[in-house]
Order: sequence, then C-alpha cells, then structure tokens
Amino acid sequence: MQIKRLILGLLLASPAAVWAQGSQVNTQSQKAVGMAGAGSALFVDETSIFYNPGAVAKMDHNAVSIGASAVMYRAAFREFNSNDVHHTKFKISPPFSAFATFGPQNSWWKAGLGIYTPFGGSVDWGDQWPGRYELNHLQMRAIYIQPTLSFKLTENFGIGGGFVYNVGMVDLSRSIPTASADGTPGRAELSGVGTGMGFNVGVHYNLEDDFAISLSYRSQVITKLKDGDAQFTVPPALAASFPNTTFDAELPLPSSFNVGVTFPAGERVDIAADATFIGYSVYRELVFDYKDNTPVLEDTKQIKNYENAFSVKTGLNVEASEKLDLRAGVGYVYTPVRGPYVSPETPDNNRIMGSVGFTYDINDRWDLTGAYVFQHLLERTVTSANTGLSGAYKTNIHAPGISLTYKW
Amino acid sequence: MKKVFKNIALYIGILSTIFASSCKPEIEGLQTSPGQADFSKYIAVGNSLTAGFADGGLYLEGQKVAFPNLIAEQLQQVGNTNFRSPFFSENERNGSGYIQLQALVDGQPIMENVTDNLAYRAEGKLSKYTEDIENLGVPGMRLDLSTQAWFGGLNMYFERLLPDADVGTKTYVQFATEKNHTFFSFWLGNNDVLGNAMNGAVTNPGDPTTVLTETATFEQVYRSFIEALTTNDRKGVVATIPDVTAIPFFTTVTRAALIAAVKAESGQDVQDIYIETGTGIPRAASDNDLFVLPFASAGLLGNTSTENPFPYGLHPNNPVESKYVLDSDEVTAIQARVKAFNSIIKDIAEEKSLALADAHAYLNRVKNPGIVYNGVAINASFITGNAFSLDGVHLTPMGNALIANLFIEAINKQYRSRIPKVDASKYRGVKFP
Repeated sequence: MQIKRLILGLLLASPAAVWAQGSQVNTQSQKAVGMAGAGSALFVDETSIFYNPGAVAKMDHNAVSIGASAVMYRAAFREFNSNDVHHTKFKISPPFSAFATFGPQNSWWKAGLGIYTPFGGSVDWGDQWPGRYELNHLQMRAIYIQPTLSFKLTENFGIGGGFVYNVGMVDLSRSIPTASADGTPGRAELSGVGTGMGFNVGVHYNLEDDFAISLSYRSQVITKLKDGDAQFTVPPALAASFPNTTFDAELPLPSSFNVGVTFPAGERVDIAADATFIGYSVYRELVFDYKDNTPVLEDTKQIKNYENAFSVKTGLNVEASEKLDLRAGVGYVYTPVRGPYVSPETPDNNRIMGSVGFTYDINDRWDLTGAYVFQHLLERTVTSANTGLSGAYKTNIHAPGISLTYKW
Repeated sequence: MKKVFKNIALYIGILSTIFASSCKPEIEGLQTSPGQADFSKYIAVGNSLTAGFADGGLYLEGQKVAFPNLIAEQLQQVGNTNFRSPFFSENERNGSGYIQLQALVDGQPIMENVTDNLAYRAEGKLSKYTEDIENLGVPGMRLDLSTQAWFGGLNMYFERLLPDADVGTKTYVQFATEKNHTFFSFWLGNNDVLGNAMNGAVTNPGDPTTVLTETATFEQVYRSFIEALTTNDRKGVVATIPDVTAIPFFTTVTRAALIAAVKAESGQDVQDIYIETGTGIPRAASDNDLFVLPFASAGLLGNTSTENPFPYGLHPNNPVESKYVLDSDEVTAIQARVKAFNSIIKDIAEEKSLALADAHAYLNRVKNPGIVYNGVAINASFITGNAFSLDGVHLTPMGNALIANLFIEAINKQYRSRIPKVDASKYRGVKFP
C-alpha cells in the first residue's frame, strides 16, 4: 500500500449575486416628471391610473398616451485611499409607459389600463474596477400591468383601484476570483424573468377647480423569479464546481403611500406638492437558491436591511398660453439604503432633483408633453458589509422624456 | 407667444449647460503627498518575498508583481522616479523554473514543473544581471548570512546580481548599502526561521540555510544593517516575520488529512500517524504537529521496504521522519524565536522612527478569521485562499498587492505621507488550468 496523494478538499467561496431595485426614477407621467414628481392631485388624466386611480373617473374624456424616457445613470467610484476614479459606462435605459382609459362620457365610472415600469435601471461598471468581484453590470426592469376601475362617488370625490401584475427582468454579471491560465478572472452571468402581483388604490377630492388632495397607496409586489439562468465562465479544471444551472430568487418591490395637494397661486399658476412614504423595509435580504449546488456553489444570502424611505416633491405649473403649459419642480429623496449595505448595483444616497417640462396642445385631440429631470445623488463614502469594498460613490441621473396623448 | 419661445430658448440654454457640466459626476481624487519622507530613490532590501519569488521559483511574471514593485508604482505619484528590478529577459522569462497546476482531480491538485524558457547559463548558475537595480531582493537571503561574503558564491540568486569580481568577496550588507538610496524597505529574517522550520526543524550538517539563527546574532546583524541604511537620517519601512503556522506550507497536510487519505486509498481504518519527534522519539501525531507541504507528494506514507517491513508513518517502528514534521514542541520553540525576533524588529523600528509593517499580525488575521477584500475571500488555505502561491510559502500577485498595501499603510502612518493604495483586485490568485 502506498498513499500517493492527499485529498485537500479545495473550497472556493460561492459567488453571491446581487439584484436590487435599480435606481428608481419615476417617469410614468411626463407632466409629473416636469414637476420633479409632484402633481398627483393636480393632473387628472390617463396617467392617474398610476398616480391615483381615484382621479381617473373625474376625466371628462377618454385618452390614450404613450411615453418614454431616456434615463442616463452616471455613477462614479473612488476607492478609499486611491487616486483612480471609476465611472459607469454610458448607458441609456428606456423606461416607458402606456395608459388608456375607457368609459362613457360624463359618467360616474371609468376603466383604464396602464403598463409602466416603476422600478429599473442599468448600471455597467465593467470588469476592470475594484468592485469587479461584486458586480460588472446589472440591468433590471419591472413592468407593471394594471387594469383599473375608478368611480366618482360625488362630483368632487373619486375613488379607484387597480390590480397589478408585474413582470420583472434581471440580467447581471460579476467576476469570480478564479484565475485562468492567462490570469484573467472567471465570470458569473445570471438572468431571469419573475412575476408578482399587487394592487394600487387611491382617492381624489377637489374643491371646485381650486384645491385638490390625492391619497394613494400602491402595495408591495413580491416578485418571484423561477428557473433563472446561471452561467459560469471558469477555468476547465473548476467547471465541475461551477455547473451552469438555474436559480430561484425573490425580490420584494416596496409599497408606497402618497399624499398630494394642489392649489392655485395665481390666475395661470398652480402649485403642487407630493410626499411619498416608501416601504423599503421589506427588503431585508436577498437569497439566491441555485438548483445544482456544489461545495463551491452554495446558495447565498445577502443582507440588505433597507429602511423605509421618504420623498418630497413640489412644482409649479404655468399656463403660458392657450396651448402651452410650462413646469418646473424640485424634490428631495431620502435613501432607503444604510451605509454598510450600499452596493454598486445601486450606489444610493439621498438625492436632490430639479426638473422642467412642458405640454403643448397640438390640437383638441393631441397633446405633446416633454420633461427633463436631473437627479444628483450626494457623494457617499461607505464600506460594504458584504464585500469590504470601501470608497466614495457619487451619481448623477439625467432623464429627458416625452409623451404623446390622444384624447376623444 | 414670442416671449414664451424666447423663454424656451433660455431654458434649453440653461439645460444644456447643466447637462454638459454635470453629465459625469466628478469625485475629487486623493491629494497625494510624500509627507516627511523622500521617495526619490527607493530600494527594497529583502529575500524571496522582496524579489517576487512565487510558485517555488523566481520568474518574470512574479518579479513584475513583487510587492516592492507595486509599492514603487504607487510611489511614482509622490516623487519616485526610477525603480529597476533584475527582470529576466522575455526569452528567459521562466527564470529558475517554477511549478504550476496541471489538473485538479477530485479536488486534489496535480502539479507540474515549468521547464522551458529558463534562465540558466550553467547548472546552478543563472544568467547574470549586474546593471543598476533598486529591487535588491535575493531569494534565500538570511539575516545571519547577509554579513558573509562567501554566501555570494553559494546562493545562485545573489551570485546572479554580482559582477564576477564581487562573488564571494562582497556581502549582502555591502551590496545593499552602497546604492545612495533616500528610502528603503527592509524585510529580512524570515529565512532565519523558515530555513530551519521548512526542514522540520532539522539542521542539516554543513548546510547554513537550515540553521535556526540565534537571537543575539539576529539582534546584532539587524541593528548594524539598519544603522547602515539609516545614515544621514534616511527613512524606511521594516516588516515583522510571519508566524510559521500562518502559511499553508505547514497547515495543509494535517494529521486528519493523512488519516483520511489512508482510509480512502486502502480502506484501512487507521487511528494514528506516527512521527519521529525532534528528540528522536517516535510517537503518535497530534493535531498540533505540523507536516510540511512536500510530504503530500513525497509518496512515502504506507511504504514498506525490506529493511523496514512496517508501513511508513503508520507504525511506531517506521515513523514519519523528523524533517517532514514540525512537532508541537518544535512549533512552540520556533514561535518563541519569531516572537523574540519581532520584538527586536519593533524596538529598532521605534528607536529609528521607521515605519513598521506588521506582517506577523496581518497574516495571522488572514489565517483566522480571514479577510474579505472587495468581495474576494482571502485566507491561508492552500490554492483557494488567494493569498499564497503553489509553494505554500510565497505570495500570489494578489497577496503581493495586499502586502504592498500593508507597507503603504505603515509608511503613510509613520511619515504622514499620502501614498495611494494598490487596487489588489486587479491581481490574480492561483492560476487554474
């Protein structure tokens, strides 16, 4: 008997995956975008399907609108005590929305359908930055499909609700610390589609044409991703440890409660203000359950520990002429992400927003609305509890958008 | 209406200004500064770690990522101009030769030797490199032998750096202190312990590299070497000597792993592995006895011979030879010696107001509980720990980058300098086939 070699039981760390909300930029109504997100009480139109289903029944017409934004997410990172600043690659993510209302003219009810993308984003740090083993790129989009019913209980009081079906898509990659013969690291790529359900309800009350108040609540939507694809590029000797497999994950998209008011500030000027409470504290952890586990590829659990978040927005709507409305707004958003849990997929921080926008009535039937919002996420120096990556993030978001409405 | 359009033009103007100026967020960089030190001519004094030795050999890829070279790259931002190393040429890039992973079979590593593009001009003699250099690392250099001129004839890595006339006549101390440096790093002394420990605490007669250096010798040579390097108030950084139990060379082949291997290969339910202790008495091994890494591939366990019919290592009459084992008493003695050396290093560093990189404390932290660096788990596990190369003693490129950061941190602290850190995630761990 001769014992030639020893089994050394090689173990590598499992690649933990990430999947976050992405950076939320609400672009459902370009009118609201022009006022930094305020206006749920002011605008009574087809986009109320999203902002407040209770206002939809107050529309005196039916309408269809489509809109899209070009969200440009530009983040920068400098590792603590380093001189190299790393930027995300220039990527445009295109959130879109489509709304339609149906119902008899001047009736006590209206129905509607909204398709919109309340969460999502695209961030690409590449594979040459200090956080490469945490994230290369993430693309994520939640598409909400919401059939809606709205009723006028009195001339001034509307109530409505909608059912939300979410289709969520995610696609991400990160480097794995397994050097191949030429020294390059391995790579994990995860992608999948998940679904979830929720609801959206609201009440809208107005005094004559002057003052209005809007209360709305959007439930959380737990999005379950099943059988996503997990692909690993590793040196051949490690292929058995990193089998290409599937994974399940669950992502709770948070609820939000919104209060909006509007009142006139002059003959042709309206002021609107909104406050939103976002129930991000449901996002405690992110679990990835791989179908084929190996000693190397174990299920992972990442702590997120988000807090509830809050945002305030206010804006002006000026009727510049018969055909043209101009808008401007400012807002402030408190981040749900605590310092140690800030990660490159959403290097979040408190943000300030400024916006401008317009609506041009082409004729009785057609409206064109445009808006531009700029969000600046304040510089934040953090040390990640999950990966130890330590440094300063700073982010700017630009989102010009346009929408077209047809009324009848 | 006209006014409105005028306003729109104004808004568009304002918008494009905002857009252009704020499109990309800017983060202010680190304000680099040399502080109280002068880094214009930095020399690195040391052994294999300083030279960039890895995977059981000195070769070009390892030389390029030696921790002093990574430090020097960062020092360029605070006034360093020229840091040269005795790089092997591209044709002789595999230098002394080294080992690489050929395959993993059921989680067990199979190694092979790299034997092409070597740099030997004759057997045991490497191609000369006698131009001016600042990385003065010599694999195998010991503190006690740094004062012995004959060592230049014995150590092929030192011989390589010396003009023929200096071989056997110039000591390493002389070689290292005639460079007109303004700043130095000094990491010597590891081999004064390791040379003996890696041989199972056995001193081979006539082999000065297996001697365990006496504490008094260590203190005397260390002090005079540092005196010579610090004349004219020159500044530098010194490092402590790691614990032998912090490196995979001593922690990978365990008693439990040996027993499991016997069971797996022979089906025998073995209870004990027998070792020859430093005192010559055989006994059953405990978990505190450390087997050296080469024992894993020596293929001796279970062997019988006509002279000794008992299975090797499995019977008290044929124990594992002492040179393959650091028994628990030897571990204790060597740890005590390391501790004595380190307290000398710390005292002299303080006396001379030198920066101190505490590699002993750092590598103990890498071993337990391990560190997570930018999402990469770093620990003292063989192959998978990312810090140690395939010889179980020397560092991977990533390990070198982490040690470079340890030195930079120490320098920054001592001299109030602001040297930016190395992005260690750019550097690899062990290469897999």
